[in-house]
Amino acid sequence: MVEENVKNLREGPMGWAKFYRKGIGYFAFAMHRFSGLVIVFYLYLHLFVLSHLLVGKATYNSLVTSVTYGPFDSFLVLDVLLALVIFYHGANGTRLALNELGIGLENNKAMFYVFEVISMVLLGIFLYYAYMFLGAS
Amino acid sequence: MEELVVEVTRTDEKGNQKLQSFNVPKDKVSTVLEALLYIKENMDPSLSFRYSCRMEICGSCGMEIDGKPHMACSTTIESLKSDKVKVAPMKHYKVIRDLAVDMEGFFGKYKEVKPYIIRDDENGKYESEILQTPAQFDEFIDYSMCIKCGICMAACPIEGSDPDYLGPAPLTAIWRYVADSRDQGAKYRLEVASGPEGTSRCHFVGECTEACPKGVDPSYAIQKLRGSMVKYEFQSLFRRH
Ligand code: SF4
Ligand code: FES
Repeated sequence: MVEENVKNLREGPMGWAKFYRKGIGYFAFAMHRFSGLVIVFYLYLHLFVLSHLLVGKATYNSLVTSVTYGPFDSFLVLDVLLALVIFYHGANGTRLALNELGIGLENNKAMFYVFEVISMVLLGIFLYYAYMFLGAS
Repeated sequence: MEELVVEVTRTDEKGNQKLQSFNVPKDKVSTVLEALLYIKENMDPSLSFRYSCRMEICGSCGMEIDGKPHMACSTTIESLKSDKVKVAPMKHYKVIRDLAVDMEGFFGKYKEVKPYIIRDDENGKYESEILQTPAQFDEFIDYSMCIKCGICMAACPIEGSDPDYLGPAPLTAIWRYVADSRDQGAKYRLEVASGPEGTSRCHFVGECTEACPKGVDPSYAIQKLRGSMVKYEFQSLFRRH
């Protein structure tokens, strides 16, 4: 009987997402996991698209043009979201590595906010230059 | 008369769960534990839960109160700021009945870290007292406040997805002894902490620290332990085996 209940009470990976009413560290963790999954998904998607080069230039070009054309295509929005999760993940990952080495450990929560604000400013700069590049091309 | 609705997640001997609500007069109780005792004494004697000291010392009354692990004896009705409270057994444990969970798994992990002073002296025969300066004492005293309530284990999301992870309290116990100048068991302890279910599983969520009723700060202790492990591993490169 006791064994049966183990399942009920162990939340499993679904519990990672339950940051509501928890500390800021939980939010940082949940978003870190989520952004990590998005990045891994993108990596495989990227490799899948690139693998079309093996078939030939025409196949690759037709695939790429089928999903990206015009300056405001839907994939551009996804690209912006991808940049957002990468910047988030990078900043929080750096903060965690420093904290785990004892650097800023006492102020880890404040450090999370500072690192994320900096990363979002960098994201803004990155997007601005990316947009300029897009306009120029 | 003002009433508090206590909604309890109950589990019977077959493992079936159901929600049951009780209306408790607010002027008769001041804590969640007292509300449960009121129910047991006046409404349903079969309601099962664990408690002893009623003053946050014994560590036995941990339960989920409004979705978060807390000690029932130190959670006041006033702090709920509501006329309704949801009470459930602590997450990540096996339920024995109603709110009483099986703590064996947790205590097993705790024993694994040898939570006592290890000395090289023969049979504990010391030449003289083992003195400690106030500064040395301060290094570990906060971590020795742990009452083994297991609340941090219920708050940790990694504990919820990896049953083998040692967990916040046992890892904090390792740090408590590593930081104690009298202890000579660092080699054993750091090996346990650096194992696959040790500190590497911690992602510094910090919810153990948020939940700990005694202000022990397990997440901080785990990061300190990590630092010691790096130092220990680095030194071992130059140590003769
Ligand atoms: S560290 Fe805190 S929450 Fe964890 S068992 Fe000890 S007293 Fe309880
Ligand atoms: S009854 Fe002892 S800690 Fe709550």
